[in-house]
Amino acid sequence: MTPEYIGEWTEVALLGRTLIALAFGASFVAVVSFLKGWERAGKRAFQFHAVSTFASIALIFALFGAHRYEFQYIWKHLNNEMPMRFIFSAFWGGQEGGFLLWMFWHNVLGLILLRTTTRWSAKVMATLSAVELFLSSMLLGIYFGDFQLGLDPFLLLRDAPSNWGLPWTGRADYLTSFPMFQDGQGLNPLLQNYWMTIHPPTLFLGFAATSVPFAYAVAGLTQRDDRSWMAPALRWSVFGIGILGTGILMGGAWAYEALSFGGFWAWDPVENSSLVPWLTLVAGTHLLLINRNRKSPMALFSTFYFLLISFLLVLYSTFLTKSGILGDTSVHSFVDSGILPQLLVYVLSFVGFAHILLLKSAHWRRGMAAFSVLLTVIALKGYVVESIAVFLLALTFTSVKAYRNDFVRTSEEESVWSREFWMFVGSLLFLVSAAHITWQTSLPVFNQFLEPLSPVLSKLGAQFDSALLTDLSQHNLAPGTDLDQTYHLVQVPLAVLIMGAMGFAQWLKYKKSNLAQVGRSLVLPLVLSVLTTGGLIAAFPFEWWELPRVALLFSASFAVFSNADYLIRAVRGNWRQIGSPLAHVGFGLVIFGAVLSTSQKAIISQNQIGDISTLNEELNNREDLLIMEGDTLPLGPYFVSYRDRYQEGIHVKFRMDYFDKEPQVYSPGDVVFFDGMVFEALEKHSASAQFSEDMEDHWMFIPFPNERQAASAQIWKSGTPGEKQFTLEPRIQLNEQMGNAPEPDTRHWLYKDLYTHIKWGRVTPPETDEEGWMGGRTHSMQVGDSMLIGHTLMTIDSLRAIANTEKPTRGLLEKDIGIAACVRLKNKTSRQLHEPLYIVRDSTLIPDLYEAEEFGIKMRIESFDPIAESLEMTVWEHESVRRDFVVMQAVMFPLINVLWFGCILMAIGTALAVLSRYQRDRKSASQHA
Amino acid sequence: MKRTHIVSLLLIAALIGSFIATFTSTSRSVNFTEAAATPGEECKVSGTLNRDYPVVYEPEVDPTKTVFHMVDAAGETKRVILNQPKPTGLENSESIDLYGSAVGGEFHATEMLMKCPSKYNENNHVLLSEETQGES
Repeated sequence: MTPEYIGEWTEVALLGRTLIALAFGASFVAVVSFLKGWERAGKRAFQFHAVSTFASIALIFALFGAHRYEFQYIWKHLNNEMPMRFIFSAFWGGQEGGFLLWMFWHNVLGLILLRTTTRWSAKVMATLSAVELFLSSMLLGIYFGDFQLGLDPFLLLRDAPSNWGLPWTGRADYLTSFPMFQDGQGLNPLLQNYWMTIHPPTLFLGFAATSVPFAYAVAGLTQRDDRSWMAPALRWSVFGIGILGTGILMGGAWAYEALSFGGFWAWDPVENSSLVPWLTLVAGTHLLLINRNRKSPMALFSTFYFLLISFLLVLYSTFLTKSGILGDTSVHSFVDSGILPQLLVYVLSFVGFAHILLLKSAHWRRGMAAFSVLLTVIALKGYVVESIAVFLLALTFTSVKAYRNDFVRTSEEESVWSREFWMFVGSLLFLVSAAHITWQTSLPVFNQFLEPLSPVLSKLGAQFDSALLTDLSQHNLAPGTDLDQTYHLVQVPLAVLIMGAMGFAQWLKYKKSNLAQVGRSLVLPLVLSVLTTGGLIAAFPFEWWELPRVALLFSASFAVFSNADYLIRAVRGNWRQIGSPLAHVGFGLVIFGAVLSTSQKAIISQNQIGDISTLNEELNNREDLLIMEGDTLPLGPYFVSYRDRYQEGIHVKFRMDYFDKEPQVYSPGDVVFFDGMVFEALEKHSASAQFSEDMEDHWMFIPFPNERQAASAQIWKSGTPGEKQFTLEPRIQLNEQMGNAPEPDTRHWLYKDLYTHIKWGRVTPPETDEEGWMGGRTHSMQVGDSMLIGHTLMTIDSLRAIANTEKPTRGLLEKDIGIAACVRLKNKTSRQLHEPLYIVRDSTLIPDLYEAEEFGIKMRIESFDPIAESLEMTVWEHESVRRDFVVMQAVMFPLINVLWFGCILMAIGTALAVLSRYQRDRKSASQHA
Repeated sequence: MKRTHIVSLLLIAALIGSFIATFTSTSRSVNFTEAAATPGEECKVSGTLNRDYPVVYEPEVDPTKTVFHMVDAAGETKRVILNQPKPTGLENSESIDLYGSAVGGEFHATEMLMKCPSKYNENNHVLLSEETQGES
């Protein structure tokens, strides 16, 4: 018996579920109606579907607004502290919200498409409705035995599978009697920022935009002699390029501004899988441009294929990121939410559907469909991986068959000096790039296929003595961590060619161009890019192995100058023409800025302390700087001072002041320490950045410093702090859910960024004993060694035996053997000598705990070696004298603004292109009518 | 043979070449024993933190050295030296992926990824225990 739950919005949950079910049902009716050609009915059904979807989205926002924690989705993504401005981030914080957002955009695009009726409308809307049918099934939340169909966004917490059978779910008063229902667990704080409000909707609009060219291409496959679908498809795919590209780069901006992995692009599987559809969409769009007006088509199969796979790769991307199959290869951690089988069915259905349509003859289509059904049956018998592998092989066969037989081909040869030839080459380059990224990203997926083959592979490997086959039989491939090897090796040369084609092809004409004229046009851009590249080589320390990178910077600047020149010269203020060259300038700048700022980023923080001798060379990490509160240390061209810390909301902020670096001038006779050695200045000079640069010319090594030298020696500095310039506040976000996370703070200039983040900082006070002592670490020291304990510099001056006469005053017995370590303690205000003792009585060690009260330090000698003059000493520090410190990293990114500027130009350029195409198409449509 | 076909074939060749070229850089997930068999070679080892040993991070001594012990999938425990400041949440991590190489009897890691338990599950446990307490 289910009781009447007190205070629960049971009916609202029911209403929400009904809305989802209606949306699902309506999309089904829409698919059937559009397929049957009942356009009016289909239109109504789609509108009904859209209204239901919008209503369920509105309802979820209402539940967020009312803080209804009995709903699992609300409880997971909201808590009482969360400011309402993050309500959008909270809405798409989970997979259910992600699906709803995606559906939202499909509906908006669908309603726009419904406003105009063309001969393609019914077919396009049928495909779009089918996509929506699958998407809304992701939200049904129905169980068939173990198989879960969708995630219900209106699921009540008491109905969640993890709570099934728990006694509290049967209590009518559970909402009022358990405090946990008064507050949710809250949105992951990493998502609580401005970028997370704008990045997901842009990206999902981009994803949704790939569905429209897909739908047009599917429609076009049913009537292959008519290519009038290409004009409207072109508008939408250019729109998709602009939006998806912006969405991807916004993700990069989010990573750069709010996450601490030190850059905007990390070739993470999640980033990759949204980049790949963009690449294929760009390729497909350019082929559309070629074929839209041509009498005899060129590369027709590829035109269809690229548009189809752009959408299929979006689905694949969803599958990779939401199914949990990437597991631990991504920093974005996704949990398997139990819908992997359904996602797989979703992806494979559309992949199969698209490939079957590529075939022209009804016989072949039927045959392939029947084969797919057969494989589904085999898969259901438990041979899932095997049948998918066979299915993919069949699809490859289908593509080859369709490519060879089923599309119109032209026998006429393209001129090498035509624009379309180079656009075609560029498109193929984009495809190669996309294929390579997909290959790397899919390695965890390949493991699934290798697993059943494992015995065969290992047998073959042993037989042919092939390490490769044996490796494969382990089915444990993972992308390499060296990005240069894994991605740049292939992607950089590809990008060089793409950029080159982009700069060159803009000046070519369709069909055939006047070569001399093209050559003249290219002179100026080439000269400018040679100058730019020369300037870069002079300004930045490029290594010889970075040649591909330099080549890319050259060809990217060529693409930028060439398109900018075209923009100014050829277009002459006709705004209808500027979209494409402007977008190309933008894309060139994005690549230029990305390559330069990433490859020439300079980590200016340098660790000065630490025992790196225990680690091998590769592990030598000196890029993190430890800085004590109140200290001022050199940091690249600045001095940095750790002022203090404070807490604000969920952030612990560390206030770091940056000062100018004034040159440090040394005069003859000045004595400095460097690396444990003492030097005296030979002449007056101002210090270089590194001591090694000055050592030979200006310094004399002093092996045995005299008293004056020892007393006056200072640590060598390359400069002194000057005027205070600015303050940065990198922070640590207190995140109970995901673990505390550092967030960077960045100082932006026009031409560079200073990016700083905390690598380690204490957010809770250190552990102490009852009296407030902390530490108790044992150090091995030699006479002459110094070390810093908080504020205090501790130096072992010497060791001496306690004379018999002195013993009574030190509390020793006559028979005792006593050794005193002469320890010099020094802080800002005082300098004292202390003598902790090492006592042996009747061959037993008597521990002697010595306290230097003024310094807040306790010490105990554990053992000593008279021959080596070394000892082991345990040191405690009192919390009253403790100094806070952090470990930080600071990175300079040169010219990173070029990247963001390029992104904006690309967005504007594509927007203008969409607008001018729309107007032109409308005009030509009205002329035809 | 048309020019476009030649270009296509060239690019397909480039594609296959690129797969092979970058395949060699693919790192393999192994366990500690396998990693020790190829010392100095980069690989990935997954496992969990061995909580019988302390996590040692002494920033005052070396801010970029964290020492802990990890149990791999085969149940073997090894001392791990990570050349990074201690990642937050290491002590509570559910699983760890290390990238690095075996050196002597140790594993030297240059990079590390962790999975941490989500609060959602913890809260369910809390709820469960509250309930059982209430009934006893």
